[in-house]
Amino acid sequence: MSTNSAINVDKLNVSFGDSHVVKDLSFAVEPGESYGIVGESGSGKSTVLRVLAGLNRDWSGEVDILGKRQPKVRDKAFYRAVQMVFQDPYGSLHPKKTVDDTLAEPLAIHGIRDAEAKISRAMQDVGLPTSFRFRYPHQLSGGQRQRVAIARALVLEPTILLLDEPTSALDVSIQAEVLNLLQALRHERKLTYILVSHDLAVVGHMCERLLVMQFGRGVEEMTAQTLAARAPQTAYAQQLLTASEGFRRAG
Amino acid sequence: MNATSEQALLTLDDLRVDFHTPTGIVNAVRGLSFTLGRERLGIVGESGSGKSMTGRAILDLIPHPGVVTAKRMEFRGKDLTTMDKASRRKLRGRHISMVMQDPKFSLNPVQTVGDQIAEAYRVHHKASAREAKERSLSMLEAVQIREPGRVYDLYPHEVSGGMGQRVMIAMMLIAEPEILIADEPTSALDVTVQLQVLKILDDLVTSRGMGLIFISHDLHLVKSFCDRVIVMYGGKAMETLPAGELDRAQHPYTRGLLGCLPDLDHPRETLATLNRDPAWLA
Repeated sequence: MSTNSAINVDKLNVSFGDSHVVKDLSFAVEPGESYGIVGESGSGKSTVLRVLAGLNRDWSGEVDILGKRQPKVRDKAFYRAVQMVFQDPYGSLHPKKTVDDTLAEPLAIHGIRDAEAKISRAMQDVGLPTSFRFRYPHQLSGGQRQRVAIARALVLEPTILLLDEPTSALDVSIQAEVLNLLQALRHERKLTYILVSHDLAVVGHMCERLLVMQFGRGVEEMTAQTLAARAPQTAYAQQLLTASEGFRRAG
Repeated sequence: MNATSEQALLTLDDLRVDFHTPTGIVNAVRGLSFTLGRERLGIVGESGSGKSMTGRAILDLIPHPGVVTAKRMEFRGKDLTTMDKASRRKLRGRHISMVMQDPKFSLNPVQTVGDQIAEAYRVHHKASAREAKERSLSMLEAVQIREPGRVYDLYPHEVSGGMGQRVMIAMMLIAEPEILIADEPTSALDVTVQLQVLKILDDLVTSRGMGLIFISHDLHLVKSFCDRVIVMYGGKAMETLPAGELDRAQHPYTRGLLGCLPDLDHPRETLATLNRDPAWLA
């Protein structure tokens, strides 16, 4: 375990009532790395992300982010450094707030001045025309909404972005645009990503390393090269990989 | 009737679906033509391409203010364009049925899944309640539900997504339709469950000689599952080609769609993006 990891999770356990959804999970993410978490629904992948983001306060184990041991309740400084983008751009934006309101709120919370310039800059960075600034979410397409969600995360200039299925609600052509945007932003700003997805091709494209989860456990950690070579060690990872290749008719 | 329409289960010529809204007419489907035989026909496209509306138009399920027109729309030689609502309803479920995307929203939440399947049978066949129940149980078995007796009495919220989708398939196939329209039947499911459901669908369609219209946004899945594929964009068919030849597609839209998918075998720093050409819709 290197002390310079951007994120270090050790023996994380999460239970909801009787169901133990994350079991003894440990992994580390280096600064500037993009780390994927894949698994089927109910594998606990989104729960891990919610714990990291401080949205779930019911967990045990150790979580270090940017060299600091994280308490259950995070402080304001934490949220300046760590931001999250959610799956559903239709659900994660307030329907009665304009793009401007959405982007101004994090700045107001953190008492950051010069909101005007910062908002324009964030919109520019994600490729939204400034004429969209006073539009409501229903006046935007799915891809544009997800850009607003990414802009909202970026406006605080975080170092870590937690991405929960950022493109699974989007059409493939829009997915390509959003993935390209995320890649470019990462290189430009040296961001660290954790990307949760059920799509192995997306994770293979975006991440250097990934963790396969099943029933709350980390089944296998592998590099993108291992994934591309279809050479995982465990049977479950292999099964997941085969299943994602499409339908095969017997005989 | 000539020989070709004898073989074809469904013939569509110049199908159009228009929505007359206060702000103008929205053309959801603009002149789609195809014939369906006993085959697996895939319709792929992005959201808004009109693929679901095509499926709904065939079943006469386009909601107000939508208007369906076609030069020809025939089911086994019977003209659907002039048929009255009551006859269309008789056809629906009995001869042509549809599996929807999400079992959570398509099953009745306050009725056990078994009763829903039995009801589907009794709507179309004269049968006693007991006979319908027996049929439903064997149908649940046919979709590979391990304990049909137990599952019969469950409510939709008590079954998993994959099981719910199998219940939907059982319900749609119990009347033994000639055409099954599956609208994104596995998009809400995990990949491993998705394959099981597709396998069941495939076996039933093949063994019963049904025609299947498989509506999906997933190019890889359609390529591996269907015989023939129609690629739709903006309510029009961009091209129709054998599924196995999807990789060699000619149309720039199909090529663009394939190009923007991340591919494990051909890693690229930047994904290609799609440039839409207004000429495609001309």
